[in-house]
Amino acid sequence: MTAQTLVTTTPAQVAVRRRRRFLGRSGGDRPTWGVTVVLVLCTLAVFVPLYATLSMAFKTTAQSVDGKIFSLPAPFSIDGFVQAWKLTNFPRGFAISVFVTAVTVVGTVVLASFAAYAIARNWDHRFFRWSFFYLLAAMFLPFPVLALSQVKLTGMVGLANPVGVALLHVMFGLSFSVLLFTAFIRGLPEELEESARLDGATTWMVYRHIVFPMMAPMSATVAIFAFLASWNDFMMPSLITADSTLQTLPVLQNIFQTQFSSNYNVAFASYLMAMTPAIVVYLFTQRWVMAGVTQGAIK
Amino acid sequence: MTSETPLMSAELSRRGFLTGIGLAGAGLALAACGSSSGSRPTEIVFYQSKPEVIGYFDTLIEQFHQSQSRVRVRHDSASNLAGTFVREAPPDIGCLNYNFEVSRYVDRGALSDLGDMPEAGRIIDELHPLIDVTASYPDRTSVIPYSLMAAAVLYNRTIFSQHGLRPPTTWDEFIAVCTTLASAGVTPIYSTFKDPWTIAQGHFDYAVGGTVDTTKFFNQLKRQGTNVDADSPVSFEKQFLKPVEQMQQFVPFSNDNAASRGYGDGNLAFASGEAAMYLQGPWAIGEIAKSNPDLDVGAFPLPMTNDPDDRRVRVNIDLALWIPEGSTKKDAAREFLAFLMQPEVIDAYNAHALGFGVTKDAAPVTNETLVELKEYYDRAAFYVGASQLVPQSIPLQNYAQSLAAGDKPEPVLRTLDADWRRLAFRS
Amino acid sequence: MATTAAPRTRSRDDATPGPMRASHPRANRTFYLFLLPTLVLFTLCITLPAIMGITLSFTNSVGFGEWQFTGLTNYLALFSDPAIRASYAFTIGFALVTVVLVNIVALLLAVGLTAKIRAKVALRAVFVLPMVISGIVIAYVFNFLFSNSLPQVGQTLGISSLETSLLANPNLAWVTIVIVTAWQAIPSALLIYIAGILSIPGEVYEAASMDGASSLRRLSSITLPLLAGYVVINMVIGFKNFLNAYDIIVGLTNGGPGTSTRSVAMTIFTGFTGGDYAYQMANATIFFLIALVLAVIQLRLNRGRSAF
Repeated sequence: MTAQTLVTTTPAQVAVRRRRRFLGRSGGDRPTWGVTVVLVLCTLAVFVPLYATLSMAFKTTAQSVDGKIFSLPAPFSIDGFVQAWKLTNFPRGFAISVFVTAVTVVGTVVLASFAAYAIARNWDHRFFRWSFFYLLAAMFLPFPVLALSQVKLTGMVGLANPVGVALLHVMFGLSFSVLLFTAFIRGLPEELEESARLDGATTWMVYRHIVFPMMAPMSATVAIFAFLASWNDFMMPSLITADSTLQTLPVLQNIFQTQFSSNYNVAFASYLMAMTPAIVVYLFTQRWVMAGVTQGAIK
Repeated sequence: MTSETPLMSAELSRRGFLTGIGLAGAGLALAACGSSSGSRPTEIVFYQSKPEVIGYFDTLIEQFHQSQSRVRVRHDSASNLAGTFVREAPPDIGCLNYNFEVSRYVDRGALSDLGDMPEAGRIIDELHPLIDVTASYPDRTSVIPYSLMAAAVLYNRTIFSQHGLRPPTTWDEFIAVCTTLASAGVTPIYSTFKDPWTIAQGHFDYAVGGTVDTTKFFNQLKRQGTNVDADSPVSFEKQFLKPVEQMQQFVPFSNDNAASRGYGDGNLAFASGEAAMYLQGPWAIGEIAKSNPDLDVGAFPLPMTNDPDDRRVRVNIDLALWIPEGSTKKDAAREFLAFLMQPEVIDAYNAHALGFGVTKDAAPVTNETLVELKEYYDRAAFYVGASQLVPQSIPLQNYAQSLAAGDKPEPVLRTLDADWRRLAFRS
Repeated sequence: MATTAAPRTRSRDDATPGPMRASHPRANRTFYLFLLPTLVLFTLCITLPAIMGITLSFTNSVGFGEWQFTGLTNYLALFSDPAIRASYAFTIGFALVTVVLVNIVALLLAVGLTAKIRAKVALRAVFVLPMVISGIVIAYVFNFLFSNSLPQVGQTLGISSLETSLLANPNLAWVTIVIVTAWQAIPSALLIYIAGILSIPGEVYEAASMDGASSLRRLSSITLPLLAGYVVINMVIGFKNFLNAYDIIVGLTNGGPGTSTRSVAMTIFTGFTGGDYAYQMANATIFFLIALVLAVIQLRLNRGRSAF
């Protein structure tokens, strides 16, 4: 893409940009406009599908079937939302999604940080070391391999419901989260913990008052990844949850896809309602997403 | 299906290790055990998922509740049925399209015997071969049919008369009709290849069923076991090649964008008169009427030979009732089944859903589109669609989609034979 | 995603906890309490189903009802099944193409987003956005774009190859899956690359620019080599995720047209809905073995680069 823009810009501009780039990342103070323009053009790839969703959702059924995705809604209609809201029983799907995601996030952070703390501080014990590799092994285990047995098992023990989905989400996220936490805890200075112990603090108190607070940035990172994985997951809830009235939002889209039929405005309104919560959460947390992921590098 | 008491069935010992696993989670299981004691009415789960009539059955359940107070019915219309059986918590009574999906429950003996119910004796005799070719379990009446659908080519009577056309009775006439329409600038057939099932139940089944006796074919195929290839008495490659080639002759008379149109688009387009013919069953009639109630729709069986007497309609047992062995409330389920089978209830349903009656005492069909098909039904000139008889683990609908897209038939049919062999080998 | 782990190790040499914990000869009981519940749950939820599934793959179970042990029958049938082979070929091919595309685009974007640009924060936020949208939902949106809007664009511009839906073309439908998967997967790779580039000390670049290195040269001889570890991480994570491709395919092509885009995961799930339980468990077992082999290869590739 960079090459394309180079062609369309004048040689003079190119020369200017070259000189600036030449100055290097920490050299020039002025921003390079060329790169900015290219990147702004690239954002179209992100915005076009989102714009399409937005504009389709506000059209009438009659207008939506013409397939003209770029035309503005005329007349502007919220009929699609009203129908989609009722058809998919949106409030319930939303509540279920929130429930599954919340349990997953809390469960992942708690269980993984517990386990990682135990492992990191007892690395010289064979039991803990091997437990670590045991947990890690699941990172390479594809869900489809376990899916059918898990359907059977969750059904047998009464977990073919959102609770079971959340539990499995936690378990599948465990490997990665324990890996992150363990690496982080190893980087924490142990002196604080030792002196607390000398003052008579129990392991639990040390964890509660020293280790857990210090892990906050990593907990945020783990929580964000757990949130995204759980909120957007389609495969697991669609297979595990037996009662379709207890399905999460992504699965509802699939269940109602045939019933949307050619009422595209209803379909798109429903898609929009399903993606909006995650986008809103993202807009509020994107600062931390960036920080969380890049913190290791900045250190 | 919510997670209720996990059913440990008769073969407990065989599944020793599974049970062990179950016990491992016993704490959780205990919590899930419902308390169903006392003199409260028995609640049964009724699985019925045909989208067009979900509301209708809700009304029926309401009536049933008013007629007695012993049994309460909970309507499940969206669970994954396979899941309920895998979880060993099947519904107490099912009402489903009787085809490849239900066949494995029948074959594995997962459905209980209904042969002692008087309702079983009311079913018309001509249906038994169709039931048995789909699936059977020795000495059992596993299902009781409820509604039969007769499907054929739907046609726009107005467009036909505008061009001076009559429903074709032979293959040559059919192609002539298509050509006339096409040269007049009318799209002859509206096809929706984006949804593979529409090709399988329409173009593919009509073509095959118009040439091959599917009941005979599949009975023979099952007898042959793994011996299914070009040299065996019957095989897909042998018997299906000609009809599939014919199908590929009429598919090009479809709308240009057929490949990217789905069932919903098709109903809308046919309703607005965008094409003269539409290869869909009666279930589409109601959907078409939703957007254009005044459309004058007729129906004729697709003629695949040049002998008008060969014309037959495609039928499927659109709904059949069954009670799983795994149900713990069989008596209550039977009570509801008997209610549904009452002549006035079943007749009213079939009139509503545009089905043909399955009982000897059934009222005749009156829908003005379907009366055109009545004569075929009355003299049992019908067949079960081939796509309904191929087990679901063979992706027949996808193969039909490839054929509609113009893939060479021989390799596809050979693949179908090989799939069948493999299935016979491992089951 | 393993970013945080990777750069840490580079900058520290004390990654391996040595015998310095001699002060605790026996692990504190609380530590066992911290770890054991997780281990038990993990065993019940992950290990047990795996063992169960592998056992059932030697039977003719359809998931319920009667069944018998049938030895290796399922495996024999599996290896002669062209549909299964095709699903593996498709899945691996798709994963390879996608992983390469995702990494090239993500790397280019990362270089752009770490350059001196305007509205850096806003631009980064935009490019990361697709990460938060559910795969199946975005697939449905693209499904509409590909079947309705793109053909219209093609008609308007007179590009005949675009006039019919890409989704309906058995030879090109996979391209749509690559595009949508990449659309959704680029952000996470991008984040890791941004992290990687930011971890390169500015002095390295200053030194290079004093030596008169061109920007392209700096990219190829400084940025890329220093990012090698991140490339490996992204490739490994991406490839693993793409092998499980399911949501987006369901929303876009549902395995069609014909059977041209059926992934392994989709095929395995037909065992659940299509009554081929034991057979697809055998398929899953093979899939697991392949994943295991890949994991070993990845660990070797990764040696010395990742945290452990």
